[in-house]
Amino acid sequence: MKHVNCLLAVLFVVLSASGPALAHKVNLFAYAEGGTIFTESYFPDGKAVEKGTVLVYDSKDQLLVEGKTDTEGLFSFEIPKIDDLKIVIDAGMGHKNSFVLKKAEVEARK
Amino acid sequence: MRTKIIMVSIITAAIMILAVHPVPAHFGAVIPSDDIVTQDDDKILNVQVKFIHPMELHYMEMARPKQFGVLHDGEKTDLLGTLAAAKGKSPDQDQKFTFWSTDYQIRRPGDYTFYVEPTPYWEPAEDLFIVHYTKVCVNAFGMEEGWDQHVGLETEIIPFTRPYGLWTGNLFTGQVLLKGKPVPFAEVEVEYLNETPGNINVVLPPSDPYVTQVVKADVNGVFSYAMPKAGWWGFSALNEADWTLPSDGLEKGVEIGAVYWVRTRDMK
Repeated sequence: MKHVNCLLAVLFVVLSASGPALAHKVNLFAYAEGGTIFTESYFPDGKAVEKGTVLVYDSKDQLLVEGKTDTEGLFSFEIPKIDDLKIVIDAGMGHKNSFVLKKAEVEARK
Repeated sequence: MRTKIIMVSIITAAIMILAVHPVPAHFGAVIPSDDIVTQDDDKILNVQVKFIHPMELHYMEMARPKQFGVLHDGEKTDLLGTLAAAKGKSPDQDQKFTFWSTDYQIRRPGDYTFYVEPTPYWEPAEDLFIVHYTKVCVNAFGMEEGWDQHVGLETEIIPFTRPYGLWTGNLFTGQVLLKGKPVPFAEVEVEYLNETPGNINVVLPPSDPYVTQVVKADVNGVFSYAMPKAGWWGFSALNEADWTLPSDGLEKGVEIGAVYWVRTRDMK
């Protein structure tokens, strides 16, 4: 029984980590300009992710910013730290993805 | 009397045989360094603009194009000024020819359609000018939007198959437009780019008809072709322009081509 549970857990992890072929895969794109980081979240067909949760982490996985996307899938915030920033979009129902904005790019646009 | 008829028939037949002898197919080419840009990739694309015989790797001299740009999110950006001349040749050509190259920084998600309108090329062997309006599409950061938009060129191929993320063996379907209207029964030439980067398996066509594949469009100008090998494939629909250009004081016809390039990868 223990083995079965273990197997299920492995299966779950494998499934959650599966690649970009999901039909409703959500995407986040981010860029920095004039001290602000702009993000946009969308489905592959271009449809905006509305009211998705955006989470911003530093390179030590410390949560720096949290917010919600607007009706156009946009969310922007002031540069919270000069670091590699991992920006996560969580659209619920397992629709989740992340984008890494490199430290060099953040620094160049502070 | 009889001999005369026979002689005329023989001469006519000879002319017809000469006339159908395949002239290598010319292709306008716009080849980017990648067709799909993800957040882990280099966001600077190198885009090369050439006039070639794709299967035979032959280059032709290309003058600075008349128009070169990119269509993204419904907006066209002129990139003509960014083109720099470069030289290239096939292994069996003894001289180098001009092609054009640019580096383009991808800044936003979505589809980028690069398009070129070359300067008319005089082809003495065919006694006409050639203008190949050529396009290629690059997808960025997972937003698959824009690839089916019209650039608005005099003639162009509109992809009906999403033109990136294609496997070897996939069917490519497109529509041939001339002045925005479908061209019924358009003839479309298809060639494999034998010099595709990383291609260690150069194709040696067993005879001439293998060099250029030919398919015809249906009544709506829609054609399809299944691509049997990984690499870049060019589709070229040729029409005659309703305008002429002077060469040595004589008005000459202009072949206008609508060319589209796509890349396939092996399933593995």
